[in-house]
Parts: sequence; C-alpha cells; structure tokens
Amino acid sequence: MDRNRPNSYIEFDRITKRFPGVTALDEVTFGIQAGTCHAVVGENGAGKSTLGRILTGIYGLDGGQIRIDGRPVQFLEPGDALELGIGMVHQELVFCENLSVAENLCLGNLPARGGFVSDRKMAHRARRLLSAIEVDMDVETPIGELPVAQQQLVQIAAALGSGARVIVFDEPTSSLSHVEAERLRENIRHLKSKGVTSIYISHDLDEIFRLCDVVTVLRDGRHVATRPVAELDRPALINLMIGRTFEAYFPSHVDTEPGGQMLAVENLSSPGKFEDVSFSVRSGEILALAGLVGAGRTEVLQAVFGLDPMATGRISVSGQPTKIRHPIDAMRSGIGLVPEDRKRFGLVLSLRVDQNIGLPTLASRSDFGWIRGSREEELAREYVRRLSVRPDNVRYDTAGLSGGNQQKVVLAKWLAANCPILLIDEPTRGVDVGAKSEMHALIDQLAHEGTAIVLVSSELPEVLNLSTRILVLRSGRVAGELSRDEADQGAVMRMMAGV
Amino acid sequence: MLPMLRILLGSQQTGLILVILLLGAVLSVFAGYHVDRTTGELVNNFLNSRTLMQTATDASFFVIMAVGATMVIISGGIDLSVGSIYALSGVMTAMVLRAMAPEAPFAVVALAVVTCVSLGVLCGLLNGLMVVGLRVHPFIVTLGTMWVFRGVAFVASEAESILVPQPLTDAIKLSFGSDALYPMPMIIMLLITAAGAVYLSRTVMGRHIFAVGGNVEAGRYAGLRIDRILVGVYVISGLTAGIAALVGSSYYGSASCADATGYELYVIASAVVGGASLRGGRGSAVNAMLGAMLIVLIRQSIRTLHLDQNYEWVVIGCAIIVAVVLDQVNRRLTARRLAGAGRSVTV
Repeated sequence: MDRNRPNSYIEFDRITKRFPGVTALDEVTFGIQAGTCHAVVGENGAGKSTLGRILTGIYGLDGGQIRIDGRPVQFLEPGDALELGIGMVHQELVFCENLSVAENLCLGNLPARGGFVSDRKMAHRARRLLSAIEVDMDVETPIGELPVAQQQLVQIAAALGSGARVIVFDEPTSSLSHVEAERLRENIRHLKSKGVTSIYISHDLDEIFRLCDVVTVLRDGRHVATRPVAELDRPALINLMIGRTFEAYFPSHVDTEPGGQMLAVENLSSPGKFEDVSFSVRSGEILALAGLVGAGRTEVLQAVFGLDPMATGRISVSGQPTKIRHPIDAMRSGIGLVPEDRKRFGLVLSLRVDQNIGLPTLASRSDFGWIRGSREEELAREYVRRLSVRPDNVRYDTAGLSGGNQQKVVLAKWLAANCPILLIDEPTRGVDVGAKSEMHALIDQLAHEGTAIVLVSSELPEVLNLSTRILVLRSGRVAGELSRDEADQGAVMRMMAGV
Repeated sequence: MLPMLRILLGSQQTGLILVILLLGAVLSVFAGYHVDRTTGELVNNFLNSRTLMQTATDASFFVIMAVGATMVIISGGIDLSVGSIYALSGVMTAMVLRAMAPEAPFAVVALAVVTCVSLGVLCGLLNGLMVVGLRVHPFIVTLGTMWVFRGVAFVASEAESILVPQPLTDAIKLSFGSDALYPMPMIIMLLITAAGAVYLSRTVMGRHIFAVGGNVEAGRYAGLRIDRILVGVYVISGLTAGIAALVGSSYYGSASCADATGYELYVIASAVVGGASLRGGRGSAVNAMLGAMLIVLIRQSIRTLHLDQNYEWVVIGCAIIVAVVLDQVNRRLTARRLAGAGRSVTV
C-alpha cells in the first residue's frame, strides 16, 4: 500500500464516516493513481458506496483527509467535487427525466440569445459532448425514455463535459443486460486510454478481473488491502473480502428437526422479473434465497405475498393449494412479509410504535371496527419486550427510533400477527452489529419454535449462518440449491455469478 | 407538573385555543358597546349571546364539512367538490320535498334527512370511485365534479332558489326557551366533530386512514384494502357535505344552486389551519373545528370592528399562511429538540 502513496493522484487518509449507530468507514487509508481503473470491492455494508459518495461530496467527513494531487481538499457540496474534476455515475437517475438529452447535458449553462434558448446550439453542444465518448444518440429524446444503460452514458458525457478527470462508478452494471454492460466496460476502457481515472465500485468479481488495474478491498468499514489485480486470483480476492471475523461474532444457527411442509411454490413466474421459480419450506426450516442485485429475490417474496398482480404459478400452504391475489389472502393463509426498506414498505413513520405493530392485525383484533386501545398497547408491549426494542415505550414515535430498532418494530408487526410462515427480506440492512446479532438470534429462535422462514439477504455470511438450505437465483431463474453442508461462500458466490 | 405544562403549550390544539381566546378578548375590548333596545342595558358589540351564537352558526357549516374534508386530507387526498355537493344535495332535497309534499312535520324532516344525506354520500361515492378506478389525482377528479355537481344543481333548479318546508326550519331553529337564539347548528357541529374525532382515533377505519396517508406502501404491505379506504374517505366527505347542506338550507329556509360557492376553500383552509398536512398522515377533527372557528372569528372581527369589508379576503388569506407557517416552525423546533435529546434517525 505504501508504495502507492508517494505518487498517488487521489489519497484517502484515515477517512472516517459515522452514521447513527454504524461506523460506515473507519480510518480508511489508500491511494489511487492517475489514469488507472481502480476497483473498490467489499460485501454489502463494507462501506464502498459510502466512500464513493464521500469522494463526490455527497457525504461529509467525520474524520481524515482527502488529498488530490497532494493538496488537501474539502467538499461542502456535490458541486465542489465536480469543480475539482470528480464526477459520478449513479445507479439511479439523476436527471430531469422530462427534459431531453440535450437539455439535461446543457442544464447548468443553456445556450441562449436574449433570453431565448437556442435549440440548435444546444443540440450541437450535446452531440459534441457525446461524441467525446464516441456515443451517438438522438439528443432530442426525453431522457426518461432512454434505457438505464444509455442514461449512464449521458452521465459520463455530462461528467467529462464539465471537466471531470476522475469518474466514480457505483455498481454501474447492476441493472444492465450483458450486452449493455460490456458496452459500458468498453467505454470505461476508452476513458482510460484518454487518461481519465475511473473508480469502480462493484461486487461483481468477474468485471473487476476483466476491467480494473488495481483493487481495494473494504470489509466492515475498514481498509483490508490495495493490490494490483494481476497479483490476485478469484479465491484470493474472495478471501480478502470475507475475512474470518464473522463466524466468531455470530453464533450459527443450529438445525432443528424440520416438521411438515408449510409452503410450496411451483413454477412461479412474473414477466420481466423472474421465471419458473419453485421451492418449498418446512416448519422449522430457514430457506435462504441468495443472488446478486437484480436476481429477483425480493420480487419472488412479493409475489408469494400477493403483491404482484402479474405473477402466475401455484402456491400451496400446508399442502392446500391457495390462491393469493392480495396481501390479505396471504395473511389469511398465515404468511407474513417483513419487507426490505423499512421506511418505504415496513413502517408508517407518522404513527406510534404500538400503532405500527398493530397495523396488520388491527381489523381482526377489533370489536366490530372499534379499536381496543388497551389491548393494542398490551400486545405491542409484549413484543417490544420480547425483541428488546429501545426505548421500550410503545407510545413512542416510530420516526425517532434507530434503524435497528425500527427493523425490530417491523418484525414485531408480523410476529404479532402470529404467522406460521414468514418471508423476511434483508432483515439487517443498515443496522449496527449489535442489532444484527440480536436479529439473527431472533430469526433462529423463530425457526426453533416451528416457523417456516424464507430469508432474503445480500450478506453471504448471514445467509450461510442462518439458513437450513440455500436457493440461489440468477437473473430471475433458479440457479441451484445448496444444502447447509455443501454451502460455503465460494460455492454460493460461484453459483450466484454463474461461473 | 412542568412537563405537563410543556406538553400543553407545545400541543397545537392549545395554541389554536389560545389564539382564538386572545382574538376574542381583543375583539371584546375594541368592539365598543351599544344600548339594547328592549332592556336598555349597555351591551358589548362582540361579547353578547346573539353575536357569539351567530359566529358559531356561521362556523358550523364549515366545521361540519371540514370534519369530512380532514379525513380526505389525512388520507393524502383532497376534495374540492364539497361546496358543490352542498349545493346539489340542498337543491335536490328541496325539490324532492316540493314534489312529494309530505304533510306531517315528522315526515318532512325524515324525508329531508334521508334524501340530503344519501345525495351527499352518492356524490362522495362517485368521487371516491373515480379517484380509485381512474387512477387520476383527486385534485383533478374533484375539480371536475366541483363543476359537474354545481352544474347539475343549476340545471335541475333552473337557477331558482327553492323554499324548503317550514317544519325543517322549525326543527333547526329550536330555541330551547331562550329568546331568538338558535343553537341547533352549533350542537350538530359539536356532535359531528365529536363523532369525527372518535372515528379517527378509536376505529379501525380511522387508523387505516392515517396509515394510508402516512405511507401507502407500508399500508399495502400490511394487507390494508387501500382502495376501499380511499373510497371511504370521499364518501365521508360527501356525507358531511350533505349534512351541512341539510342544516344550511333548513336554517336559511331555501336552497339554491349558488349556495356554498367557494366553501371548499374555506373547508380546506380550516383543516390546514388545524394542522392537517396536505401530504397526508396528519390531521384532527377537533383541530379542524378550531381552525374553522379561527377563520370565522377573523371574518367576524372585520365586521365587528367596522373595518373595510373589502379587505376580508386579504386578511383571511394572510392569516391562513401565517397559521401554517407558525405550525411548521413549531414542528421543526420540536423535531430539533427531539434530535438534540439524542434520539437519532438512521439514514
């Protein structure tokens, strides 16, 4: 690492970033050389996206220093980073989608004469910017109508057009097809030939070996290694990413004797999302759905819970064929879904803790439509105690809880509904290590009590620790199933990536 | 005791009540006096039973509608058609009564109640079904029905004002012995507000409205029947507009297609001054009543103080903006205090 530092173009020096309850980056130090394609890899939650956002000025620093060309820099807002020649290509759309490609490319500085925008000059400038990366497209098209891959090219053109010498790519190929991804990689190679530095954040190991010169590995917010890609092979890189800290901290799930079959899903398909997915779960089992981003894991859970009107296939609960068209049908059959993204899907932040916990079962516990407040509070108190939600006041505003405690409230909602089948989606995303270990213990305990659990998680150690069996999805199809004994990180990762 | 006091001062309800009392006190001081013709006593121009009752009566029509409109707003929607529903149910009820001409006073009242309320519910149902079925923003749907309903009332009544039978007026102008004071509209207003408050806080449907307005996705994931809940709030809004029409046309003795023009904006203003958020998830029936009272009181003060009445709208408009800004400042300060106390919100 040290040999990189004297002549590094960008230097990260003891970069620290804390979020409430989590230290996302802990004294990360490494350097990036000019004109290279530098990969930043790590598991979910390792801090790689946070690092990208710090370099582009989206997040502020809690400690440390960034130096560019030897000079310390400080970003107060995203525009500052761009002025220093650092642009970013995001996964999601950062344009005004109703405006045309040309308008978006010229937005900060529309060519105008006497207050009137000159469409001709604007189109000309846009074409020039796009031709710098050898892209040809209709600049009059509203950008929202373009596929994501094309939008990313426009983002690159926009960044270069504003003078960027460094471009940060955050998982750019995660929502692209193979052909589109290859074309994007071609563009990035082309950038390198023009002396532009690329920072490539990814968890797709294949890409890194095909594209990048140097790789930096982060784990749990700490810098693990920075090495030339040529010095590494795949197993070595995987070992660097995984480390050996996890098992020590999180006791692994002890298998119980599984009971009868609770949920069977056959030939479940949904156009454009997933195809022909079949699996079954028995009482006391934890079936993990593993896969890369975009493999269709969350979508499968949504379909089983009746949230996907386009889904086709057969679902049986306890051996009985069941039609599930609405979450109510799923709930009646004893299925609960603990969704990912607790703020969007899991909680009504404007309601109190007890009101959130009671929400799915409010109607069934009411007396002819009247809420029994005392009963609601009592129920909430029971689960708040059982999951040790802090603070333990059930009349607390949900918005005031930390991420881990909010996640517990979402789980409490479905425990309070007494579902014998639980679909759990990313239960530990964005929660701190302590809450994570509590969450694992809870899921484990639920299985012991006979709940059939389908778990989706992007964290492989979590999947390996908790699951009885692992079903791997790749691009919307079942890639294979691994039993607990067959599964290790390498095997699952290979199956996820299809190599 | 001290935390109790802080909660009281911090709550928006107390704030509204304080402002209303303060405005009332200021009005009483500056209103001046006149000599009562019959008793010869000196009477405050504002602080006398007749003016107060008249102010409450003026407020009652807004308040009754605002209770329903608040539920729509809590659900994240908006209902611009309540004034037109008022006019349409009033006019149609008067026409039905004229056509059927029931004899017995009880029959008149019963027929009026059933007709007016069902018409309101029907209009609300239409709004709700269109909002849910056509997937068009409620602002557009109810903007359309605002004109359609009033247009139907206009065509049906041929723009004439239709008298309502005397028994209805007698019923709403029950004076309970006290001379020439008619508290029925106010009593109905209080009953509706109480019913709305109980509905919102104690029933499953009420809680579902808050949930859908706060986060419709989380509601869907919790298995709520979102469509039913949304249709429900527009039906309730129509219902309260129908009740307001019944009270209003009975009180004034006639119904016309021009009744309640512009009321929808007063009604929405009342809900918003009462702290309802147009983004949904927040609001209260009692606060909407207080909001309506504040607006009516401001209007009344212009009259009582003999200010230029032409400025009425300017003053009311400013008051609404000030009230909402103050509410937001208060909320932000509270949020900051919560954050300062170490309760963090994770990103």
